[in-house]
Amino acid sequence: MNQWIILFNKEMKEAIRNFKWIWIPLVFILLGIIQPVTSYFLPDILKNFGGFPEGSMLEFPLPTGPQVLAETIGQFGQIGVLVIVLAFMGIVAGERNSGTNIMVLVKPVSYVAYIVSKWLHMSLLAISSFSIGFLLASYYTFQLIESVPISYVIKGAVVYSIWLLFVTTLVLFFSVLFKSNAGVAALTLGITIIISLMSSITPDLLRWSPGMIASHSHSIFQSGEAGEYFWLSISCTIVLIILMIILSIINFKNKETVTHTT
Amino acid sequence: MSLIITEQLTKTFNGTSAVDGLNLSIKEGICTALLGPNGAGKTTTLNMLTGLMNPTSGTITFDQRYRGDRRQFIGYLPQYPKFYGWMTGEEYVVYAGQLGGLSKIDATKKTEELLSLVGLDDSKKKRIAGYSGGMKQRLGIAQALVHSPKLIILDEPVSALDPIGRRDVLELMRKLKEKTSILFSTHVLHDAEEICDDIFIVKDGKVVIEGDLVELQRKYQKPTIYLETEESIEYWSHSIKNMDWLRHMQGTKNKLTITVNDIDVAREALLSNETLRKLKITNFEIAKTTLEDLFMEVTAG
Repeated sequence: MNQWIILFNKEMKEAIRNFKWIWIPLVFILLGIIQPVTSYFLPDILKNFGGFPEGSMLEFPLPTGPQVLAETIGQFGQIGVLVIVLAFMGIVAGERNSGTNIMVLVKPVSYVAYIVSKWLHMSLLAISSFSIGFLLASYYTFQLIESVPISYVIKGAVVYSIWLLFVTTLVLFFSVLFKSNAGVAALTLGITIIISLMSSITPDLLRWSPGMIASHSHSIFQSGEAGEYFWLSISCTIVLIILMIILSIINFKNKETVTHTT
Repeated sequence: MSLIITEQLTKTFNGTSAVDGLNLSIKEGICTALLGPNGAGKTTTLNMLTGLMNPTSGTITFDQRYRGDRRQFIGYLPQYPKFYGWMTGEEYVVYAGQLGGLSKIDATKKTEELLSLVGLDDSKKKRIAGYSGGMKQRLGIAQALVHSPKLIILDEPVSALDPIGRRDVLELMRKLKEKTSILFSTHVLHDAEEICDDIFIVKDGKVVIEGDLVELQRKYQKPTIYLETEESIEYWSHSIKNMDWLRHMQGTKNKLTITVNDIDVAREALLSNETLRKLKITNFEIAKTTLEDLFMEVTAG
């Protein structure tokens, strides 16, 4: 148990020193503020700069609160995920390429602790950044647009966090599997995009998929109720997360730390 | 009592064996050197001993008295140690100590002690990214020792260092020898001769010569004649190639080193050789071979 804490602390210290704990939350904060604010000012912006003929009486309705929250989640799902993937693509591959893992793994370090402590730290950073960004998004939505029941907001956010966990696990998994950072990033992003797209194009075929989570959290913001087959997709996602962690550990164990001599 | 015994240890990379049926037995309480030219399979062997690499076949047995994960009992310094540059030297050794099972307090205490032993007291609060090669090597030794292992394994600990750094590290190893068993690899025989008790000379993944250093020196010291001439000696040297007193011969244009079986016969034969005399001898010296010559002979031939 002790070793987990030591390894986790190291991850934490490293991420603080290279400012990951600043710029990742910052991205989420910015996204969280921009979405409600632009939604609020959009009608004005369009009126002034939209190039509509003088005197045309157009009404632009304000979006509803749940809509703005859903759009914020959409931003997190694109730019936020991109940032998380780029920040963590080298989490295992980078250490292996530079050889810094050698002197760690010749110590009596458990491979499980090595991988899981990394996962815990990534997940903590991702979820914290999302939480603070979404908190601000909700605040500005409430102030500028309209209130949404707090319990809907919290429930929806918790559900969406599971999708973020899925993404961090995917990065870790590929980072164990492959050497190239770029390859890890490309695969993770590719897979998340494909899952999300497929889930919105053919939701019937992909009821179980993690890609449905975003739309479930949208409907929770709207009505407090998730869509159909909610538990199916949540439990499938959790099973996939656990499976990927286990496979990462097994793969990491079987892979030789040193594969060639220099 | 042997700390580590390997039997028929083999490692194959894409069909070529880097280590080929290697039998080692590393004794406790002494310093052992793994000696061989580049590409002999030294690093691969050490990687298998530390568990960083899996053998293709063969076995590695650690002393029965020390049970469990053998990594607990081994401290390792790779040839090119790679640290987290964002840590300070002190943080790194404490981290290594904690991973080795020490409590934070014990690790800090031990770090203090080791950093002053390796002479990094002044720079322990600096980030490792700013360390020189020699400092990294010494930091590497400190992190290898922090959990008080039974055996420390050093991969080419002095090869990349300048003469001063080299002297420092060798001096340090001499000190460590008092407390713990050392296994290190090198391609420089001189380093091994300086601090080792046992050596294993490896070539092409196999042990060619092994044993106690003093004994080997005695056994393999052969009488040798150094010859220097004013005129080129190269052509003439072919004429003694098949003499029965000759063991081995090696030379350049004007110099020749001849290892012989019987010094009296050889001297007689050489000094009475008319052709050789005409080459104008400038130096004729009788000595004994060092292990260096043996090493060259074994690894080159």
